[in-house]
Amino acid sequence: MDESVAVEELVIDEPLAADEPVAADESVVADEPVVVDEPVIEEPLVDDVPVAHIDPDPIDVIEIAAELAPAPAPAGVAALTLRGISKSFGSTRAVDELDLTVPAGAFYGIVGPNGAGKTTTLSMIAGLLRPDRGSIEVAGIDAVARPAQAKRLMGVLPDRLRTFDRLTGRQLLHYYGVLRGLAPAVVASRSADLARAFDLTDSLGRVVSDYSAGMVKKIMLAGAMIHSPRVLVLDEPFESVDPVSSATILDILSAYVAHGGTVILSSHGMELVERVCTRVAVLVAGQVLAEGAVDEVRGELTLEQRFIELAGGPGDVEGLEWLHTFSD
Amino acid sequence: MVAHVLRLRIALLLGALRGTPVQVVRRVVLLVVVIAVVVLASWSLITMQDAPTRVLFVVTVAGGSAITLGFAVAPLVGGTVDQLDPRRFALFGVQPLKLAAILALASLVSIPTAALLVVAIAAAVAWTAHGVPVVVAAIGVVLGVLTCALVARLCMALSAWAARGRRPRESWGLVVLIVLGILVPFVIFLASLEWRGRVPEQLTDVAAALGATPLGAAWAYPGLVATDAASAGLAFIVAIVTLVVVGGAWVGVVRHAVTTPDRPVAARDRGGLGWFALLPGTPTGAVAARSLIYWLTDRRYLVNVLVVPVAAFIMVPPLLIAGVPPAVVALVPAPFIALLLGWLPHNDIAYDSSAVWMHVASGMRGIADRVGRLAPVLLIGVPVLAIAIFVGVWAHGDWSALAPTIGVCASLFLSGLGLSSIASAVAPYAVSRPGESPFRQPQRTGTTGATSPAFVFFGAAILSIPAFWWAWLSLTSSPDSAQLALWGGIGIGVGVLLVGLGIGSFAFERRGGRIMEFAEST
Repeated sequence: MDESVAVEELVIDEPLAADEPVAADESVVADEPVVVDEPVIEEPLVDDVPVAHIDPDPIDVIEIAAELAPAPAPAGVAALTLRGISKSFGSTRAVDELDLTVPAGAFYGIVGPNGAGKTTTLSMIAGLLRPDRGSIEVAGIDAVARPAQAKRLMGVLPDRLRTFDRLTGRQLLHYYGVLRGLAPAVVASRSADLARAFDLTDSLGRVVSDYSAGMVKKIMLAGAMIHSPRVLVLDEPFESVDPVSSATILDILSAYVAHGGTVILSSHGMELVERVCTRVAVLVAGQVLAEGAVDEVRGELTLEQRFIELAGGPGDVEGLEWLHTFSD
Repeated sequence: MVAHVLRLRIALLLGALRGTPVQVVRRVVLLVVVIAVVVLASWSLITMQDAPTRVLFVVTVAGGSAITLGFAVAPLVGGTVDQLDPRRFALFGVQPLKLAAILALASLVSIPTAALLVVAIAAAVAWTAHGVPVVVAAIGVVLGVLTCALVARLCMALSAWAARGRRPRESWGLVVLIVLGILVPFVIFLASLEWRGRVPEQLTDVAAALGATPLGAAWAYPGLVATDAASAGLAFIVAIVTLVVVGGAWVGVVRHAVTTPDRPVAARDRGGLGWFALLPGTPTGAVAARSLIYWLTDRRYLVNVLVVPVAAFIMVPPLLIAGVPPAVVALVPAPFIALLLGWLPHNDIAYDSSAVWMHVASGMRGIADRVGRLAPVLLIGVPVLAIAIFVGVWAHGDWSALAPTIGVCASLFLSGLGLSSIASAVAPYAVSRPGESPFRQPQRTGTTGATSPAFVFFGAAILSIPAFWWAWLSLTSSPDSAQLALWGGIGIGVGVLLVGLGIGSFAFERRGGRIMEFAEST
């Protein structure tokens, strides 16, 4: 992405910056991108993100998040309420009487060991699986009784599900948008914005099956956001994404939350969840063992230590004594 | 203003002869070809002065209708830049009505119109030799040329309005399919007629019918005056009404173009979208475009499609060996192809594998998913069936079998699609995954094996029994039931398709979770 494009965007789309006479001067802006960065970001939240300044193109990121973020939910209505959710596959009970409340405007992390039911829970929230029992409400709408309305409010990034990877990136984003009922012209302009924010512009013409795992993640995340949902349901959004890209994604998500959106994500990266999430739930064997603001949950420990403690600890490694005497 | 636009038009025509040498040579060669064709056509028409009236009538009406159709279709598929786009003149502040007239007049100054005018005059000369008054022949020429020019103007404006920006190259595939679907049966039909140095009876009927339609009325008028005065009045009225309607539409288009602003957003880059740009930007259109891309590029679908004709023709030799008369065997492949084509999409969801989550998570209407998925099979199936039916009936030898065969095929094909719409939402079964070999047998978990293929295959056949019965009656005892077989078959097919789409979309919306469980388990 060259600087001139960014400057053009700035002059056209950012009246705030145009007030300053120097901002129109190309050389000044190009030399100090950080100057533009500061007046736009006011939310304290972003201060939690030390990597924010790595991002190559901060204007676009903030801009797009501001454009995508929905109006805040009606006061007092949680973005997401799960009551007594259960789901079994055959004889295995993946999720067991799970209760969860995600307040609107939260950056909510779900952590848990492998097989704890994170993906199943998120799939049920996204309407991809039907719970055996229990109720799910998305911004006050009963997602079990009125799935179509509830789905309209959510953007979904599943983990380990295929996408239509014979389409090019541009076609895939178009598909995401049009399935959500957006007009093609709107989809085209938002696709361009999202591609710029996720640094995918040069890859839009390529077939998605040629993308790397991280790029697929990014384009699917872009697709999840294209209809400016109220709630983003993201399953492992940072898996196999490079550090620069995950900093970009974090910037976009933080700005989205700052403008009233709600993010609920699952992750294995404790350090990351601890850093960016406002609230966290620890899920073990299909049940919530701890839930609340990150500081409440971790207490005196780091989140990782607390998590290992809750999840049953490293355990006594017995029966592996043969491993301690080498056979050569 | 009139003089200005006409001078501009002439300058543009002459300007075509400027440019790089390669361009100039290409255009000059094209011009020479056009002149040669025009001379040839005019000369043959003038020599038809002594031909029978009936032959001249068939030639002028059929040829004239084809040319009119060409003037309508060429702007739609050609994708050239319209030099007389009314929008370009919006800023000059001319009254819309006046501008429409000026542009229509200016459009007469063009090479296609000039060529048409010469040929039309040649036809008129031929008609005067057959006793048509000069005035009538002249009126015919004026009506025909004006209609063609106005139709071209109108379609040019419509195509600019419908497809802003560049046309994706997929549109050519669509055009080729449509042309094949229409042209091949037509050519087979022509070839099957008994020519032997005279015009077959059927063609005269076709020409007479065309003479009463907007396409051929202006061209038929002089000939009808010479032969059938009663129909001549009708043709004249049809031609005048056509001209008025097309002219009115043209004025409306010009008025719209100069009084509404161009929407710049719509002109934004839609390039690189392929089929998505070609089909409407609705969920149905998007699913159709995505399905088309998969059907045309994924080997798993291609194998399915290629198996259809092979399976249909593989049963011909055994039947012949068994002593079934060839005339009967000829009618077997087309209905069998129809049945197989209708059966093809019965497991469509399974081919998406877990990518179907996009449909489920978007909360889209079930009907959009169901209808969109049928687009590829319809697009491939209809031309294939048209060709198969015509080839089959031609081999059979008796064209009275055409209507019942179409009825049976429509019933089998459409009811197959209807049942498939239900089956793919209710009972998908495992197939090889995207990217795997189409012949690889998928791993199955559980024993809920495939009953849906049999359900769709035999269901469509059983539902079509009435159509078979009517067709049998029309071929054996009562030829009158041919119409019943045709419309009854189409009726059954459409009915089952609509019911199937309804049930299928209901099931798709209700069973989203089950579909995902299935998709993730395979």
